[in-house]
Amino acid sequence: MWVLNNVASTVGDTNQRLTSWFLRALISRASRICPTAMNFNGGSMFRRRLMTVTELAGYVDLIPWHRFGFCASNSAIFKAVEGCTKVHILDFSITHCIQWPTLIDALAKRPEGPPSLRITVPSCRPQVPPLLNMSKKEVGLRLANFAKFRDVPFEFHVKDDDPCLSNESFVVLFESLLTHLTRSELDLREDEALVINCQNWLRYLSDETKLNSAHNISLRDAFLDIIKGLNPRITVVVDDDSDLTAPSLSSRITTCFNYLWIPFDTLETFLPKDSSQRLEFESDNSHKIENIIGFEEFQRIERLESGTKLSQRMKNAGFFNLPFCEDTINEVKSLLYEHASGWGMKREEDTMVLTWKGHNSVFATAWASTELED
Amino acid sequence: MPVDVYNSSTVSGDASVSSSGNQNPPPKFTVKKKRSLPGMPDPDAEVIALSPKTLMATNRFVCEICNKGFQRDQNLQLHRRGHNLPWKIRQRSSKEVKKRVYVCPEPTCVHHDPSRALGDLTGIKKHFCRKHGEKKWKCDKCSKKYAVQSDWKAHSKICGTREYKCDCGTLFSRRDSFITHRAFCDTLAEESAKVQTDPSSEPDPKVMAVESSPPPALQPTPPPVSAPAPLEVQVSASALPQSTSAMTSSVMPIQSSELAEDPSSVVEEAPPPAGLNGSCSGGVSSVSNGSSSSSSSVFVSLFASSTASVSLQPPAFTSLIRAMGPPDCPADLAPSTSIEPISLCLSTSHGSSTFGNAGQERQQYVPPQQPAMSATALLQKAAQMGAAASNASLLRGLGVVSSSSSAPRENLQWGQRQVEPNNASVAAGLGFGIPCDGSSGLKELMMGTPVFGPKQTTLDFLGLGVAASGSPNGGLSALITSIGSGLDVAAATASSGGGDFKDIKEIMTWETINCTGYSVAEEHNGDI
Repeated sequence: MWVLNNVASTVGDTNQRLTSWFLRALISRASRICPTAMNFNGGSMFRRRLMTVTELAGYVDLIPWHRFGFCASNSAIFKAVEGCTKVHILDFSITHCIQWPTLIDALAKRPEGPPSLRITVPSCRPQVPPLLNMSKKEVGLRLANFAKFRDVPFEFHVKDDDPCLSNESFVVLFESLLTHLTRSELDLREDEALVINCQNWLRYLSDETKLNSAHNISLRDAFLDIIKGLNPRITVVVDDDSDLTAPSLSSRITTCFNYLWIPFDTLETFLPKDSSQRLEFESDNSHKIENIIGFEEFQRIERLESGTKLSQRMKNAGFFNLPFCEDTINEVKSLLYEHASGWGMKREEDTMVLTWKGHNSVFATAWASTELED
Repeated sequence: MPVDVYNSSTVSGDASVSSSGNQNPPPKFTVKKKRSLPGMPDPDAEVIALSPKTLMATNRFVCEICNKGFQRDQNLQLHRRGHNLPWKIRQRSSKEVKKRVYVCPEPTCVHHDPSRALGDLTGIKKHFCRKHGEKKWKCDKCSKKYAVQSDWKAHSKICGTREYKCDCGTLFSRRDSFITHRAFCDTLAEESAKVQTDPSSEPDPKVMAVESSPPPALQPTPPPVSAPAPLEVQVSASALPQSTSAMTSSVMPIQSSELAEDPSSVVEEAPPPAGLNGSCSGGVSSVSNGSSSSSSSVFVSLFASSTASVSLQPPAFTSLIRAMGPPDCPADLAPSTSIEPISLCLSTSHGSSTFGNAGQERQQYVPPQQPAMSATALLQKAAQMGAAASNASLLRGLGVVSSSSSAPRENLQWGQRQVEPNNASVAAGLGFGIPCDGSSGLKELMMGTPVFGPKQTTLDFLGLGVAASGSPNGGLSALITSIGSGLDVAAATASSGGGDFKDIKEIMTWETINCTGYSVAEEHNGDI
């Protein structure tokens, strides 16, 4: 592998690096499993698979990769809004609100009755898989429909950006959005419990300090500052537990390779080699590979950081860790029990981590913006 | 800070980090599990350490004669009696038996330490297997693997048993998957789009929808084929503006079971049910124009589901329904109109030309005016008709179905009449009470019209099929009974006030349609 890496130029153009990575990925797959007829084409940045929302629901349930975060977050949110009659969730995630039906369902069954629920999503989202063939508004309609079905008062808003920026990149859009994340613009109400949900999101915010910004602060930190300023009742952050921000490509390759082995391996255990679901899932993950390895600077948007690092960052921003309670842990455990053995979870300091065969894969954390009073 | 590790593959392994090394009962640590921490043995117990081989050995007690292995010595001794060997069963000793505890042979295991020994031999065996053994048992429904066979069995029992079903037919074993899917599923969106007063719950959505749909819920646009339940509802709503005969309702129970089935499966059986249903519905509709009861819808839906050409249905249905809808003509007429379209829809693969033919054939019958006959009487007559008049029996069957107590006689007679001229269509239609010759009979009944798609299958209505010949009465009786007093054919016909002839004609029309799958309607309507 390393020989290959040396052979393929690490400072060559994008295609060369991509090709070397994919070749390595293919060989690694071949060494673990028999070769399959896969057609990963190197420049697959352009190949995007749009799913229907029910397909997405199935995709999310294939392995607990996302559902772990959903379960932990929803449970923590549910606990945090106990007793509140109004809840407002700011949802920053890449999974198109797939997370919320279970929370709506849980809220609907509250003994004291459901709170009225508002969900606001930003209109911009990084162009990464999983991609949906439906607009955010339509997703919101379906969610609203479901909430009505469960008798939960519900509102859904898409926080629109400045329309003249609609063709800009995600980063630009998001920067613009940040300026609109104010109490008034978000229509935050006094009697509402505010919940911030960051799922696989922070990694897309650049961590590099913008030299031309007045505050000399990175986008990521700026975002956290703004969030904290809104004084949410709870902020949940879920992301892949891997440090892929190193500037050195070779170290990234190693880390990325070691890390992305995990999702590939999880499907290995129960989907046949030629399963289309598996291939699709892998191609979605290959987007990460491509991006982490193949791009630099602004194009490299997948900048994951590990759970520990994120914890530190949150603390630096002034958040206080909210440990997960027993009920949450038990819920997560029973979720994992339903999946293949090999999935596990562990608690590390402030985070709950999903493990596959002992390897950390996804972390989940919960934060309060003020010291807990009760 | 203790690290809590949870590994889903282990059933019993919760770890309490610290354990004392001596035999004194260590302080009990608070553990998450409700049951007491395993491996806190009685300090006076005798510690037994078995090797893995011994631990895993099954059937340690072997008979010297035949080498049969037994797990317990007692069992071996009993076996030895069979060989006429001396045997001795040791009684449980009366004195206090020293308590034994067992340690796990795996050195890295926490239960290797005598202070954490387990008190039960079976327990330590299972523990060793689960934690240190190879997972040889795999659930065939999901991907879980087990090392201990009893664990695997226990899991297999519950795997897939708790299932959630979405309206769209997808099954889920996990509630969260189900909820997420359901929230976004198209069926929920459609449901809310319709003016439904009864959002169906997960089990039996289709049946419930059918049964509870209120008549006014007419929807001119056909729902997508993928949602058979709504289709059914709509059909029922629109199909019968007038009161549906009780017959329809009673028939529904019969049908509903089929309805509740996955429509696609019904489609597979399409040919016979289609024919049968057609006839039934025909009968029903003719009898009970106005009824918007679900029963009629049931029929319709049955048709729908059973029709092979599902795609054909919705548009045809709606138009047909509409045709049926306006009761501008006398009651009898309406049903026939509606029936015909229905059967048209339902019948598989028949071109309109055949309809024409059928119509012509149909017209050959001249239904006599007949006084009403009881349903049972009709049945008996049908039985009498026997194999010879296969079509006649069909007619009878049809007649029975369609006619309530009020007008069975005329139907029957009509049926009799029909025997001569027009066996094929009738017989083919119902198939029950037609003891005969299944397909061959049908074929001849068909009058050579090849369009009758589902020949053999038609016989399967109510499961009677060809075999029903043995008890045509039974089958018919069953049907009749189920239809019960609800049958109000008479009422319907009576309501029309028109001549009996008209009714009969309509009935005949249906049957023709049903049997042949054609819609004689068009032609017939013209005539009427």
